[in-house]
Amino acid sequence: MLKYLAKRLGRSFITLLIILTIVFVLMRQMPIEGYFPNYDKMTKEQIQNGLEIMGMDKPMPVQVLNFLRDLFFKGDLGTSRLYRNNVPVTEVLAPKLPVSIKLGSLALIVALLVGIPMGTLMAKYKGKLFDHIGTGFIVFIQAVPAAVYYLFIQLYGTELLGIKLIFDINDWRSWILPVFSMSLGNIAYYAMWLRRYMVDESNKDYVQLAKIKGVSKNKIMFQHVFRNAFVPMAQYIPTSFLNTVVGSIYIESLYSIPGMGGLLVDVVKKQDNNMVQGIVLVFACVGVVGLIFGDLLMVLLDPRISFASKGGSR
Amino acid sequence: MKKLLAVVLCLAMALSLVACSGTPKESVQPTQSAGGDVAPGEVETPAPADSGEPMVYTDLYVSEVTTLNYLIASQQWDQAAAANVIDSLVENDPYGNIIPGLAETWENSEDGLKWTFHLRQGVKWYDYQGNEVAEVTAQDFVDALRYVMTAENESLTYSQTACVKNAEAFYNKEITDFNEVGVKALDTYTVEYTLEQPTPYFLSGLTYTPWFPAYGPLLEELKKDFGTSNDKLYYCGAYILSEYEPQGHHRYIKNVNNWDADKIYIDEIYRMYNAEAGTLGPNMVLRGEIDYSDISTDIVDDWKANNPEYLSKKRLDSMWSYFYCFNFNPTYDAAYKPEDWLKAVNNENFRHSIMSAFDRAYSIRAHEPDDPESIMQSTITPAAFCSDGTTDFAALPVFQDNSDLFFNKDKALEYKTAAMEELSAQGVTFPIQVVITYKSGDSDWENECILVKQHLEGVLGTDYINCELWAGPSENFLSETRRAGKYSFMRCNWGADYIDPQTWTDPFDGKDNLDPDTGICIGNSYNRMDAILYDEAKIAAYPETAATLKAYYDKVNEAKAEVLDMAKRYQLFAEAEDILIEHALVIPYYISPSTYVATKINVFEGQYSPSGVSTNRFKGQKVEDHFITMDEFTQNFEAWQAAMNK
Amino acid sequence: MGLIKHPKLEQIEQDCTRNLKAALGDNEAFSFAQFNEQEVERTGFSDYSYWGSTLRAFCKNKVALFLVFVVLAILCFTFIQPYLPGQFDAFVVNNNPDTGIPLRNQQPDSVHWLGTNSIGQDLWSRLWQGTRTSLLIGIAVAGIEALVGISIGVLWGYVRKLDFVFTELYNILDNIPSTIVLILVSYILKPGVSTIIIAMSLTGWIGMARFIRNQIIIIRDREYNLASRCLGTPVYRIILRNLLPYLVSVVMLRMALSIPAAIGSEVFLTYIGLGLPATIPSLGNLINEGRTLMMSPNLRYQLIYPTIILSIVTISFYVVGNAFSDAADPKNHR
Repeated sequence: MLKYLAKRLGRSFITLLIILTIVFVLMRQMPIEGYFPNYDKMTKEQIQNGLEIMGMDKPMPVQVLNFLRDLFFKGDLGTSRLYRNNVPVTEVLAPKLPVSIKLGSLALIVALLVGIPMGTLMAKYKGKLFDHIGTGFIVFIQAVPAAVYYLFIQLYGTELLGIKLIFDINDWRSWILPVFSMSLGNIAYYAMWLRRYMVDESNKDYVQLAKIKGVSKNKIMFQHVFRNAFVPMAQYIPTSFLNTVVGSIYIESLYSIPGMGGLLVDVVKKQDNNMVQGIVLVFACVGVVGLIFGDLLMVLLDPRISFASKGGSR
Repeated sequence: MKKLLAVVLCLAMALSLVACSGTPKESVQPTQSAGGDVAPGEVETPAPADSGEPMVYTDLYVSEVTTLNYLIASQQWDQAAAANVIDSLVENDPYGNIIPGLAETWENSEDGLKWTFHLRQGVKWYDYQGNEVAEVTAQDFVDALRYVMTAENESLTYSQTACVKNAEAFYNKEITDFNEVGVKALDTYTVEYTLEQPTPYFLSGLTYTPWFPAYGPLLEELKKDFGTSNDKLYYCGAYILSEYEPQGHHRYIKNVNNWDADKIYIDEIYRMYNAEAGTLGPNMVLRGEIDYSDISTDIVDDWKANNPEYLSKKRLDSMWSYFYCFNFNPTYDAAYKPEDWLKAVNNENFRHSIMSAFDRAYSIRAHEPDDPESIMQSTITPAAFCSDGTTDFAALPVFQDNSDLFFNKDKALEYKTAAMEELSAQGVTFPIQVVITYKSGDSDWENECILVKQHLEGVLGTDYINCELWAGPSENFLSETRRAGKYSFMRCNWGADYIDPQTWTDPFDGKDNLDPDTGICIGNSYNRMDAILYDEAKIAAYPETAATLKAYYDKVNEAKAEVLDMAKRYQLFAEAEDILIEHALVIPYYISPSTYVATKINVFEGQYSPSGVSTNRFKGQKVEDHFITMDEFTQNFEAWQAAMNK
Repeated sequence: MGLIKHPKLEQIEQDCTRNLKAALGDNEAFSFAQFNEQEVERTGFSDYSYWGSTLRAFCKNKVALFLVFVVLAILCFTFIQPYLPGQFDAFVVNNNPDTGIPLRNQQPDSVHWLGTNSIGQDLWSRLWQGTRTSLLIGIAVAGIEALVGISIGVLWGYVRKLDFVFTELYNILDNIPSTIVLILVSYILKPGVSTIIIAMSLTGWIGMARFIRNQIIIIRDREYNLASRCLGTPVYRIILRNLLPYLVSVVMLRMALSIPAAIGSEVFLTYIGLGLPATIPSLGNLINEGRTLMMSPNLRYQLIYPTIILSIVTISFYVVGNAFSDAADPKNHR
């Protein structure tokens, strides 16, 4: 197991290098104009000077090597250009990351706390009233575009709570609506898939056997069906955390929460290369670790699954 | 130390107020009470000006500043922040006149090359907490300009200062001694600029940020870090940026020690970031949370019907002029027949047929739904932009006979017949494909293009032209479209760099714009018309166009050389511009519309100028206790015009 | 476990033998069975057909059946609508006949059934044009995603040697921000329906592949697969016969959901400014246009109708997907 982990971590490092290199090269395919907001009124010398300072006048392989050298030997991600001119990337990200993590984890906790019981109960009372109400909720969340119901929640929620329309970091109540809005999608997601897996699971032979043997319905549901159904879900939890953080673009822009949501889109559009690389690095690290963590969770929960190759592997 | 204590106390108060914010309060009323409803937790309390309480102005902003370093920043919102915290040598009054700022007096030498400014004494630099740092001296202007002209600092606005003697040589490192550059501190309070050539409009350019002063020792210390946050620059303007939280909020506090403090009425400006300000702003105005919001054209009708007491307009701003260009060097996909377009666009009858068929008032409705004529222009240089002392440039006699060039259905059809005959003889197949390009995501522009297409095709017939709407990318739009020559007929715009008609000839000057591979001039980055003059084959193919263009560029050069007799200079520029319009090379269109807003500020009290950053200054403006209505706006407008004409 | 007989079981066996012998006598009880081909056919034959039963089970769900009909009706109507009498062209700006000024933001009335937008285009025809565009995008993207995603996902999950390659490939592709790809695509290709399909498929299949891979990993080492492997069944046959049928129900649900998901992500792309231009109506840009007007209660009609259509389409696919997924489980074929 440990050997497997070590191997995977080692490979992940190489993966990271490849990701960063690809992103680095892709970003440099963007038009020159994007680096100079004042392009129309700039002289040729000014533009050339700007490119030289960014190191973009050198051949691509040299640029890549310089970037990787600075990153791994100096820990330097460079400075932002068009997002916050000349401010180190790390300094820009430092205050934003905690805000997003706080928002994302709160939303995820709420989603798990509500979504899992909901899915379980829906599966248990399949075809009964609770199942129908739950399905109704899931269908609504799936069907109405988030962009629309977020806005409604903000508009009427703030009036209901008697708070300001946009986020105020000093008022704890202004966390309620963003967290609530953000968790809705995940609640529906967890409830829906858990119900699906549990229904599939409860049709299996071992469940029938347990029923015949007279095991109590609750015991079957929670000890056997739930545990087995949760295995495929578990793997998504780490990545869904990441998705919640990145996917908060609507919420963060609506409430002006100074987090990471939408930051990537913003800096890609602004062609702030160093910022893009910095964020990609952060996300890729979390993503790679999340994938390993998700696989581990699956192995831990289901002893039948194994990753260590045995003899006779294909 | 006392000040520090005061700040600490203020902060403590703010915090304690914030702590109270958890307590429940009555629901926010959607109506605006006299003093402005303010939720608890707000430090500020807007109040009528006479009550002695601080006057606070709150609004939303969409674009976060990239940098507070005004010496390098080029974006409007960056410069707007600087305009309020740094004073310039000269300023503008609300009527567009240049008035003393940090310079009390100034003089220009006989030959027009030397400008000497005598500074106000006792103006101080303050840090973001309001502590006095040093005095503003002539050397600060020299140091600031040196910073701008140092290539390593990557000032995006350097080219605006390139008129200073040896600036370009210093930027390109041809000379290394800054003393050779034409800016000197003659003594503590006298600064002198020496220019490359006489520049009659020099003063009007000084309200742009690269000319602003900066405290030399701080520049020396911070170098590229200057202005990366609010504690990394010193303030000498009307306000001090006391809080700066990117993507959060900005808080500007009145600089009570400013030399012009009597005219600074708003005590505090609190600006909150919101990426969806366009959608949320109007609602927040109704809830009384902010004092200003743009009201976009698509909801104006609704607001007129339901919230007229909140609705007024912005002051008309002749800084940006919009005009339609014909592309004389198209490079787009062969599927749209650029070869045929090239032949057509070099046919004057064809150009006139488009110009006559173009009902500008109809398509301007996409931007100004009610009164399109109010922003429509018949010259590229906007009306009321500059005058030779007696006559407004756009009203010079040379333009008088142009009115019959514009929308006229019958004439359009006459031109069409003539053009079809001539072009068919040249082997052009009809309909001609007209690629109209706009920026995706800009809904007003998109709507405008839909209207233009429908109207042109309606008047001229689809047997003649077929308009193809092409949405360019929302990022790097211009380099993918206009600059790359990927359009045939497109709305272009240009903003004034200084107050002189010369600034409106700059977009059409493309002699330095060379193809990187062949070294042949590809023409200016607007309509690329000068490309024809550098290609013998094209001169032979389109002698008519070549002759017109030659006449235009000769006239422009003649006008540029005339720097002493302003009346003559303006006349020559007018004649040049008239060539563009008369031969339908460029179709004048409109100036930035006076869009609808909900605001508590009388917009006519602010500084006014068609160039520079003066219009962004809050100095001189007051927050009223109510939102301005259309009636009040009209009254204020009339009062403003009357005062201006006096 | 099978070797040690339970004492009770042994007793039952003995009882049975005794009873049989008593009833039939020695000869009858132990006569040799003759090979009878007909008999073999009879026991080997079953009129059970998987897809037939699935369809039958599906048809029992009347709501789902109705919604299939609804989606088909919407799809057909989007093609028929322009040819119906009294329709406006979705692209034409309608002017007030008296003043020649565009009819902006007209409330729904008898002429413009759903009103007009902010430059006076008929929203009824734009809605159907938009629905057509969006459904087309959704189906195309979901189809490409399923095809590429399933093929790669199965290989990734089943073939252990490829797990390494694909996992790393996934890590790489998944971490390259799709915004970069989308923006670069927008520089190369002209904005339009095909561009957006390409752009969305370029990044969309990754999620599907990973989903399938996880499902495969869960079942690949189950006993019946081990048995197949021991019997020397070729890999392709294990995949096609053992693994995929097992996954039909989850895969179907996932596919049914990926159509509305693709439509939803078109809404998102429009929101971040990378969607279709408004000259090509789609549910995405109709909803985004309506969204900006949401704060004005009188103009909400511009938002509500596209949202309703989007919701109907999504709900239909969701319910149909779930019903089909239930029906595809052989355990429910009774």
